[in-house]
Amino acid sequence: MTATSLPPNSAPRVRVRVNRLVLYTVLVALTGLFIGPFGWLILSGLKTPAELAASPVHWLPTDFQWQNFADAFHLIDFLGYARNSLIIALIYAVLVTLSSAWVGFGFARLEAPGKKTLFGILIGSMMLPQMITLLPTYLIFAKLGMVDTYWPWVFWGLAAAPYLVFLFRQFFAGLPRELEEAAIVDGCGYGMIFWRIFLPQSWPVLSASFVIAFTWSWGDYIAPQLLLSTDKSTLAVAVMTTYVTSAGTPVTNLQAAASVMYVVPILLIFLIAQRGFVAGMSTTGLK
Amino acid sequence: MTVDQIPVTGRTDPAARADRATPAGRRPRISMTARRHRAFYLFTAPWIIGFLLLTIVPMAYALWLSFTTYDGISPHWRYVGLGNYTELFSDPQTWNSLGRTGLFAVTSVPLSIVAGLGLAVLVNRPVKARGLFRTLLYLPAVVPPVGVGLTFKALFDQNSGAANGVITLFGFDALGWLADPYARYVLLMSVLWAAGNVMIISLAGLQDVPRELHEAARIDGASAWRTFRSITVPLLSPVLLFQTVTGVIASVQTIMPLLLSPDGTTAGVTALPQSNYLYMMHVFSQYFALGRYGYASALLWVLFVLILIVTGLIFKFTSGVVFYNVDPEAKK
Repeated sequence: MTATSLPPNSAPRVRVRVNRLVLYTVLVALTGLFIGPFGWLILSGLKTPAELAASPVHWLPTDFQWQNFADAFHLIDFLGYARNSLIIALIYAVLVTLSSAWVGFGFARLEAPGKKTLFGILIGSMMLPQMITLLPTYLIFAKLGMVDTYWPWVFWGLAAAPYLVFLFRQFFAGLPRELEEAAIVDGCGYGMIFWRIFLPQSWPVLSASFVIAFTWSWGDYIAPQLLLSTDKSTLAVAVMTTYVTSAGTPVTNLQAAASVMYVVPILLIFLIAQRGFVAGMSTTGLK
Repeated sequence: MTVDQIPVTGRTDPAARADRATPAGRRPRISMTARRHRAFYLFTAPWIIGFLLLTIVPMAYALWLSFTTYDGISPHWRYVGLGNYTELFSDPQTWNSLGRTGLFAVTSVPLSIVAGLGLAVLVNRPVKARGLFRTLLYLPAVVPPVGVGLTFKALFDQNSGAANGVITLFGFDALGWLADPYARYVLLMSVLWAAGNVMIISLAGLQDVPRELHEAARIDGASAWRTFRSITVPLLSPVLLFQTVTGVIASVQTIMPLLLSPDGTTAGVTALPQSNYLYMMHVFSQYFALGRYGYASALLWVLFVLILIVTGLIFKFTSGVVFYNVDPEAKK
């Protein structure tokens, strides 16, 4: 019995094994392709300018120029720019997370005439290209004397972000109705219900929203470029524009080192907050 | 005003106080509904006010500017009616950049979606270290645009770039990747690098596909490809539609060409390789390099109307194909 059943059984088993091998090879190759460019950036940050200019390509630096990272730190006021980026990202991420949770609660838990229309506008506005409002917004802020201040980020934060509102709305809509009923019977206002009952329940979404908003702001290039003068500007702008010699030629090895230092915090935040972040991203896709 | 201080509905409101003055401090039933209505508007107010002030007002302002020659400095600006619009339509740069943007959108969006979906299918299989593969493939999608720009500049640099390193190994001549005509391919690759965004959202969609459907198909003898085409893709279609629409809008306003340019600042927008001179670059160059705010506003409004039309068309032509199995509003 075993002797006869073995051949037809082992053939698929071999095929399964080959399939697995192909699958892992493809996965590893693709992963290499996706991670490779970042490795190259790090290597570029470890070379001398001569090595970067050499042709053909120097694959590995002969001497790892670790001091490039220190030099990149000192050539410009790296810490100052990083502090500006951090302040702006914190202001925006904290405010927009709270305001989006607040608005999301309204859409998830309350009813009023016009709610459907408003929700439609909210979803539609996710599709509105931000660039189109940004240039006129700059002119308006300039008129109001708010260029070169961090006020625009306060307003953007207070105004809630449709994407995050949607995230919170999905989460709040899934919580059981009993949560607020008892509180309403006790005469508790909705503000209190939101603050005392719903917010403490929503740590996963709060952290996802915070990370997403922080990442947006840290990565934003055009808004700070438009609205802030050089010394108040963010790391994104500084890394892009300030690594030049007095003669105006770019210092590419230091720029590469600086961009590694600029990107790494975001990657770390992502890796730490990965679960919430990914859950947050995917909920929105499933609208 | 912190959230703490936001007045709790019905407490500070005189009408609600009057309600409470009724016998035994009990509110009449009707005020419950009224309270809910008021609370709804109070809760959505930040977004409504923000949307009016930070979206509608700037857009209206841009519309007004688009009829003028405003440049931000000169006091001698004037109303020119449709002047900017007629100029815009006769400007070859408008049409050229628009054509390139369209080409960029119709190549980058489908490629990203196919790549992202392919990755999602791969990392949805029961492989070892699946979480690690997912994380690493997704990682480039969180790299900020400036990081992407600098990384790709390092990769495709004529002398020190890894791309030329590889092709010279095979005996080919080093290419000027960041100049015409190759710059457009580098731009495309920089977008595909972030395919993890599509992957993560498609992955969530894949995990929502009921297992029984796949099993039933397998019992009926359907091939893996057939199952994917006839079950997985239709069930994922709302997700794919969402990806298409947001992808098109994102590709239209991409600033990546700017970040890939040798100069890399908004001032250097005119020095871009022609093949990467997209519509938004045309807007930037009119705005920053020439200070023609009125003209740039007209360009932006034309783009806005075009996006509305294109989005509308996408929804119209996919309405028969996209399959919604759950009404998101229904599952409360």
